[in-house]
Amino acid sequence: MTWCIDIFTIFAIINHLPHNQLLSFFTYTAMPKNNLLLVLLLGTALPLQAQTIVKKDSTALKIGYTKGISGLITGSVDQVTEQQLNKGLNINALSALNGQSAGVSVSTGPNQEAMLNAVRVRVRGTTSLTGGNDPLVIIDGVSSDLATLSTIYPADIERFTILKDASETAQYGSRGASGVIEVTTKKGKGERFHISYDGNVGWEAVYKRVGMLSGSEFRQAAANLGMTIADHGGDTDFRRSIERTGWVQNHHVAFGGGSDQSNYRASVGVMEHRMVVKENAYRNYIAKLDITQKAFDERLSVDLGIFGSIQKSKPIPFPGRLFYSAAAFNPTFSNGLNAAGGWDQVPEASWITNPNSLLKMENDKDDGHFNAHLRMSMDLGRGLSVTAFGSYSYNTGNLSHYYPTFVWSHGEAYRGDDKSEDMLANLSINYRTSRGAHQLELLGLAEVQHSVGKGFHTQVSNFTTDAFGYHNLAAGAVRLWEGTGSYYQDSHMESFLAHAQYVLANRYILSLNARADGSSKVGRNNRWGFFPSVSGAWVIDKEPWMQPLRQISKLKLRMGYGVSGNLGGIDAYISQQSVMPNGVVSVGGTLTTTLGIIRNANPDLKWEIKRTFNVGLDMGFWNNRVVLTADYYTSHTSNMLYLYDASVPPFIYDKVLANLGSMRNSGLEIGFGITPLRTKDMELSVNMNMAFVRDKLVSLNGYFNGEYLTTPDIKGIAALGGAGFHGASDAVFQMVGQPLGVFYLPHCKGLIRNDDGSYRYDVTKEKYICGQATPKATLGSNIAFRYKAFDVTMQTNGAFGHKIYNGTALSYMNMLSLPNYNVMKGAPQKNIQDQTISDYWLERGDYLNIDYLTLGWTVPVKTTYIRSLRLSLSVNNLATITGYSGLTPMINSSVIDGTLGLDDKRNYPVYRSYAFGLSIKF
Amino acid sequence: MKRFLFPSLLVILLVSCSLNEHPKDQIPEEQAYTTARQLYQNTVATLYNYIGGDADGQGLQGTCRGVYDLNTFGSDEAMLPTRGGDWYDGGLWQAMYKHSWAPGHDLCKNAWLYLYKVITLCNRSLETLQAHGNLVDAATLRGYQAEVRACRAMYYWYLMDLFGNVPLITSSDVSMSQVTQEKRSITFAFIVKELQTVLPDLADENSVKSGYYYGRVTRPVACFILAKLMLNAEVYGDDDWTDGQRPDGSRMKFSVDGQTMNAWQATVYYCDKLDASFALMPNYRDNFLVHNETSTENIFVIPMDKNFYRQQQQNLFRSYHYRHAAAYGFTGENGSCATRKALEVFGYATKAEDPRFGENYFAGPVVDLNGNAVADRGGKQLVYYPTAVEMNLSGSPYVETAGARMRKYEVDKNALKDGKLMDNDIVLFRLADALLMRAEAKVRMGQSGQSDFDRVRSRSTGAHREATLLNILDERLLELAWEGWRRQDLIRFGLFRSLYDGNDRVKEDDGHTTVYPIPADVRAMNVKLVQNKGY
Repeated sequence: MTWCIDIFTIFAIINHLPHNQLLSFFTYTAMPKNNLLLVLLLGTALPLQAQTIVKKDSTALKIGYTKGISGLITGSVDQVTEQQLNKGLNINALSALNGQSAGVSVSTGPNQEAMLNAVRVRVRGTTSLTGGNDPLVIIDGVSSDLATLSTIYPADIERFTILKDASETAQYGSRGASGVIEVTTKKGKGERFHISYDGNVGWEAVYKRVGMLSGSEFRQAAANLGMTIADHGGDTDFRRSIERTGWVQNHHVAFGGGSDQSNYRASVGVMEHRMVVKENAYRNYIAKLDITQKAFDERLSVDLGIFGSIQKSKPIPFPGRLFYSAAAFNPTFSNGLNAAGGWDQVPEASWITNPNSLLKMENDKDDGHFNAHLRMSMDLGRGLSVTAFGSYSYNTGNLSHYYPTFVWSHGEAYRGDDKSEDMLANLSINYRTSRGAHQLELLGLAEVQHSVGKGFHTQVSNFTTDAFGYHNLAAGAVRLWEGTGSYYQDSHMESFLAHAQYVLANRYILSLNARADGSSKVGRNNRWGFFPSVSGAWVIDKEPWMQPLRQISKLKLRMGYGVSGNLGGIDAYISQQSVMPNGVVSVGGTLTTTLGIIRNANPDLKWEIKRTFNVGLDMGFWNNRVVLTADYYTSHTSNMLYLYDASVPPFIYDKVLANLGSMRNSGLEIGFGITPLRTKDMELSVNMNMAFVRDKLVSLNGYFNGEYLTTPDIKGIAALGGAGFHGASDAVFQMVGQPLGVFYLPHCKGLIRNDDGSYRYDVTKEKYICGQATPKATLGSNIAFRYKAFDVTMQTNGAFGHKIYNGTALSYMNMLSLPNYNVMKGAPQKNIQDQTISDYWLERGDYLNIDYLTLGWTVPVKTTYIRSLRLSLSVNNLATITGYSGLTPMINSSVIDGTLGLDDKRNYPVYRSYAFGLSIKF
Repeated sequence: MKRFLFPSLLVILLVSCSLNEHPKDQIPEEQAYTTARQLYQNTVATLYNYIGGDADGQGLQGTCRGVYDLNTFGSDEAMLPTRGGDWYDGGLWQAMYKHSWAPGHDLCKNAWLYLYKVITLCNRSLETLQAHGNLVDAATLRGYQAEVRACRAMYYWYLMDLFGNVPLITSSDVSMSQVTQEKRSITFAFIVKELQTVLPDLADENSVKSGYYYGRVTRPVACFILAKLMLNAEVYGDDDWTDGQRPDGSRMKFSVDGQTMNAWQATVYYCDKLDASFALMPNYRDNFLVHNETSTENIFVIPMDKNFYRQQQQNLFRSYHYRHAAAYGFTGENGSCATRKALEVFGYATKAEDPRFGENYFAGPVVDLNGNAVADRGGKQLVYYPTAVEMNLSGSPYVETAGARMRKYEVDKNALKDGKLMDNDIVLFRLADALLMRAEAKVRMGQSGQSDFDRVRSRSTGAHREATLLNILDERLLELAWEGWRRQDLIRFGLFRSLYDGNDRVKEDDGHTTVYPIPADVRAMNVKLVQNKGY
């Protein structure tokens, strides 16, 4: 089953075949699993000839804590520079990265609820069961998170560096297992004063909806079945009544200046996004300042960076309910208020509410991110330098909602406040030397990190007037005990890192990392984790005997092995047996708070370990007009952290966070770039990346407290919801021996006619595994064409090999939901009166989506003041090519949670964006 | 100088932080027991948070999909019919009706996890009391321990009653390998012995009145459980419920306060104690009022207060038609209702209809709290059609309106959270039940149970009946509808498998369905556990 690139083929092609057959590279052959090493050994023993050509490929590059030379990287590292970032309308920094790096999936597509902090990123798929699958985000050396990253203005980003395999991520030790996204922001460059403006303005419109019955069709369908409906005489399309024309505008001003000795860059930005669903909106305000100063004959270098952003957003309080309601609400109801000044409801349809009244639920979210960091590097001479780095980050989150009395029986107000602080400091000493053909770099680093999170919330109900909203909680009469709470969490981490890199003759590179991490979150006896890695590279194109092969401008073989850890998704104090307030009871006639144990403690909690082997090949031909990169990796996660099912008794609760199971993950990533045309007036370049990934849950068993624990082999991950689906409605399962997230369903042989002329699903008793929810392959492709001052860029992303459960159709085709819920067009004709879950509505999820098409004009201005001027027009989400029958195949197919693989009535409307952009530099 | 700079900075850096945790929003367990008051609150009182609940499967009553549902929807008393697109829920409720539940059934797992959670918490509390007992005097400590042991015995009783052969764990420090099942009779004997042992140390106080002992397991509560245990001794003492044979209750010997008694004598003995300290309320409905703390009949309740406690009453919410609930200002799920068998027993719509039908059910035209008609979606009077009920109502004209709905409790007009947070305490044990138990025990001993039977019956109806065993069984349904006893009663009478309403059941002649299966997930994790026969 493994589709894997046959490395034989590659080498064969390189060595013996005409270059025009390079594309046959994309033919895959099945390869047995364990033959990889053999293939490698044979592959490296290639017969090669000798001649001379030296290619300069020595951009200085910071990877992790080390300063690398890009030509000397030994691991799997992808760089996405400013030029490569997405050119369409970017609503946040992460959407600029989407599709640009093999194996990095960013779901910011318009079909997720596109609020910024809902961005989901996976690097090389899922390698852990617990929440810790988010990659580590490092912004200018500061450990951060996806939420903060998504608030950075895209034009402030100089480069993303994505560390994918453990030989590089081992530098981040315990936090690196899910990959690392390093972000380098723009800094002052020691040039004369410059100022630039960058912005775009656009609008958005829904272009596709699930076809539901109109008011008259609904009336007719119910009459045909002899049902009484609540007929209000209208004909309303409630999907349209929650929509509006979206509006987006982004503006950004940056300026900087100075000299080589001291320079600065400052920027301010604002991003506003009024979504296509009414009330749903987002604003982001950003300010950023970076200062660099050199002193003492340039031996001391000081960098200061300050970043702040504020987001004000209005998320949809219950998106699933809103979209379910908009589709299924009785279409004979009028769109407006009733005579009493309220909204008519259908009490029988308990899963839906009049969409217009749902829109009246106030929901406001205010977030803030602040960070300051300072780096001082001192060159001590003789190749020795010392760097001290410190950073402070402060994040706040504020959630306020008010559900008016006409939607929520007694009204409900909520205020919640969360704050987190993160302090990080490290000291490093770096030594570089070179003698003859030998180069050596050594790095020693010590780091401490302290994180504190705290917050509180309170919820009040029983309002007699809606006038106060959430602004005066005293207007509500009832404060339930469980409605108020607060928390405090702090954690510490200490780390030591040693790194060595040795380069011989500029072409043989060996790199070693050893990191030790101590965390307060793990059990007392497992405080320290050790994460080593080793990797090597052979820059073949620098071999003297390669020089006759002028066509080959780059050829490098990389190989690495490393261990990284994961503590993600774990709260502090889990390893302790502690007690918390668990309720109020009457003690001696007085209301009393009691304390109790609220979880199974695990004093032996330890690091999850991920071991990765990576082998990669970088190739460039004809002055890098054709570039190819291929990486194969295999990783094994052990001591897997997971909230395991625990046997009750002896456990108190049925879950315990422990390190038991293991999983495997392997994949192949291919990057391909070709510039078939490059003249003064014209340039065409095509970049593609493909990732094939395969994961398997190997085991969920292991030793806990000296005893062998087994957990159920089959467990539901994602279930259908809505009317008639309470319980036993899992469709996506986690099964030992299978990829994470498989569909395990009964087979449907077809439809059977009932006595009354309706139909039901003819379903077998036995279930079978009928596909996986996560794509086996993903594709990102970028085609750019320039003619003189005009350019066109098209980005296409795709995913293949997975399936989607069309739960929307299962529900909306079920005629039993009449007369309280509306049904789909075509449902009355098919007359299915059944909603048994089977493979009937399981469909292939393959798709290709044209993410954006941008037309740009670099206006040839010739004045002293304007350095450059560029105008652009973009269309985002141009078209989707798919065989999937539902609204869109771009659902959650990557993150393991309760929505994985299910298209279940909750889709955000599918919309297209049109934007005009202006970028001007003075 | 310079060479010391780096190491010294390093030292400063690392000294500034330590890897020990100092939580502030939770405290180490030891700190929870530093005073006598804390000791009681955090070992004994803390357990009362689990009697009721606000989530599926939690609590003995008031929530859905747990102990109460297993005892109610597995019997001929009530059902949750599939109503078109609603209430199919993966066939869960149909399996309850058809007795076709399998080890993977959600309700079984929920009940198992809930009961063992509380049992294990009881075990921990006992160990904590032992360790910190020096905070109080010996007598007080004995009282605390008695209360926890009685609690644990009660949960074990529910557990044994539902699952038969269960692991009997009395320490929190056991390993998986020590978790093996005991025969039902062993667990039965353990529960009886525990309750008998702690009885003298339990406060002889009323637990349903607001005040010092409100909601606590006091001596009468333990007496009531002992009476139940004795009355069902033939069932609980039977280790093979699939062989068609049972021990004879009149020959089962128990030592009760120094005397040897058979099961029926012991039942009478404990009921006598209850009769001495409780009295029937003049009206049936008095026990279920919004403020029913004054009931002299209720013995044990789940305290409810919409402003203070978390525990909810979801059974009414689950039963009301949507528009019926909306007329009260609540939300309803239009689900549970009486079976046709229950209607027969109540003599519904006959001249002999028992007055308690109207106390326990809504049937016919629905009115709001002011007596005004509630309209259905077509604008016509909303009417419940009790006899139209069938397990699968899809396609029926009565899909939404079939079935008599749960009434039982006085409507708390000010209820919160869709009507789930109300002030009526949920009645778990009451004297009327004890009187019927005594009547039954006497009849089983060959004596007359007529006086007890009449005391209960005459409160509600003037229609005389003989206190025969079958009439007692019927009377128990009439009196105790929706109180969660029907399954246990039917099993004791050997009628659990009897068919009604044309119900198409699984093959269960061997009686294996009288206990529920050990949940599949629990067995997957502990391979030592043996599945109950027949599953």
